[in-house]
Amino acid sequence: MARHSHGEVPMIDVQVRGRSDRGRVREANEDHYFIGVLRKLVEVQDTNLEVRDAVRELSKLDAYLLVVADGVGGVAGGRRASQSAIFSLATFIGRTAACHYDPNVQQENEFLERLEHALQHAHAVVRSLSTPGRGPATTLTMAMIIDRRAYIAHVGDSRAYVLSRGRLRQITQDQTMAALLEDEGVDVRNAPRLANTLASAVGAQEMTPAIGLLDLTPGDVLLLCTDGQTKHVSDTEIAEMLASDPDPEPVCNRLVDAALAGGGTDNVTVVVARADG
Amino acid sequence: MIQKKVCMVGVYATGKTSLVRQFVHAKFSDKYLSTVGVKIDRKPVQVGGQDVNLLLWDLEGRDGVQDIQTSYLRGAAGVIYVADGTRRETVTQVFELRELVQGAVGAVPEVLALNKVDLADQWIVTSADRANLAQVPWHTFDTSAKTGDGVEAAFQWLATAMVKSP
Repeated sequence: MARHSHGEVPMIDVQVRGRSDRGRVREANEDHYFIGVLRKLVEVQDTNLEVRDAVRELSKLDAYLLVVADGVGGVAGGRRASQSAIFSLATFIGRTAACHYDPNVQQENEFLERLEHALQHAHAVVRSLSTPGRGPATTLTMAMIIDRRAYIAHVGDSRAYVLSRGRLRQITQDQTMAALLEDEGVDVRNAPRLANTLASAVGAQEMTPAIGLLDLTPGDVLLLCTDGQTKHVSDTEIAEMLASDPDPEPVCNRLVDAALAGGGTDNVTVVVARADG
Repeated sequence: MIQKKVCMVGVYATGKTSLVRQFVHAKFSDKYLSTVGVKIDRKPVQVGGQDVNLLLWDLEGRDGVQDIQTSYLRGAAGVIYVADGTRRETVTQVFELRELVQGAVGAVPEVLALNKVDLADQWIVTSADRANLAQVPWHTFDTSAKTGDGVEAAFQWLATAMVKSP
């Protein structure tokens, strides 16, 4: 059902589902995902105000927090890294994001800064798990959807995509050594391992978060996924699957099943969010 | 510290992202990756001894001017229009772009970056174009995201104008 935020700007409803799988080769699953709804609650216990309905409206404003993380640095370490990163990020955002349900420009600027702080916080927590520089570490790709705006923060080589009007586009850029060197004009075709080496990760020596945002329109589908998905399923296939069903649950299943059918050489995790009018 | 939101606006492939990258990281890459939505970077600068944090909103360039999403412009304290000197249509489109932007943010300090001056021998900007551009109260810089020419000066001029702006 369509809801309205302040100023009668139509809000979008978001349907979200996620799925994670160990894959066919790995002994354990070092990926994690998180889907949370931040809800402002104003409980009116008693009042003689005539604007009771307006107060009720405050309680309806939602923000969605979606995260995927792919841990690296040995089974136990990687698992712990991705779990700790998501937990500390969600906790930080849960504690600090309450004033951003109806952001003005100043608050939005502060919010963007706070997103970076949230990632720095997660980074510090993961670094505390081990000797600096020796892992573990984790990728982290998150989206926070407030109203129709999706704020994206990204570290590592997990990805965020958006399918809009039938066209799939990758929002994030992989932070791998191969991408970094290619950027510098170095030919990396003979060094395939560099594509799997992270140039930036939460808990690693280098962590350079990329921050962005995107306004969603009804019908848009947002996908966050770890590289276990994109190793085995092409962008064209991903686009077809995202468009295949308005319910994100079967879409998640199709995506993961396709990655497993393609070899399942890595853990695979997806979060699919569909914006409805 | 004062924060100022700056929007980078232009049609596709004019070099908006490369200009930000050169300004913030002093780097350039020939590889073209189109921006989806908005990329956000920040860079502290000094204006008259005062620290100013520039929040750089690099807006996705679209094929046509009307395709630019004005919702991203809200609250911009300054705007950098980017045109590619080797593509004349991007130079003529900035007038239309400016109308769209002004409708969304009102009168704010503006810079026009005529980009890719490292390819000046391939520029298709006529003297009539230059004369038309000079009619607009923006400050024009010939820039190169590749060599860095004019980049620092363009951002610094805008930062100063924003701080002085009421």
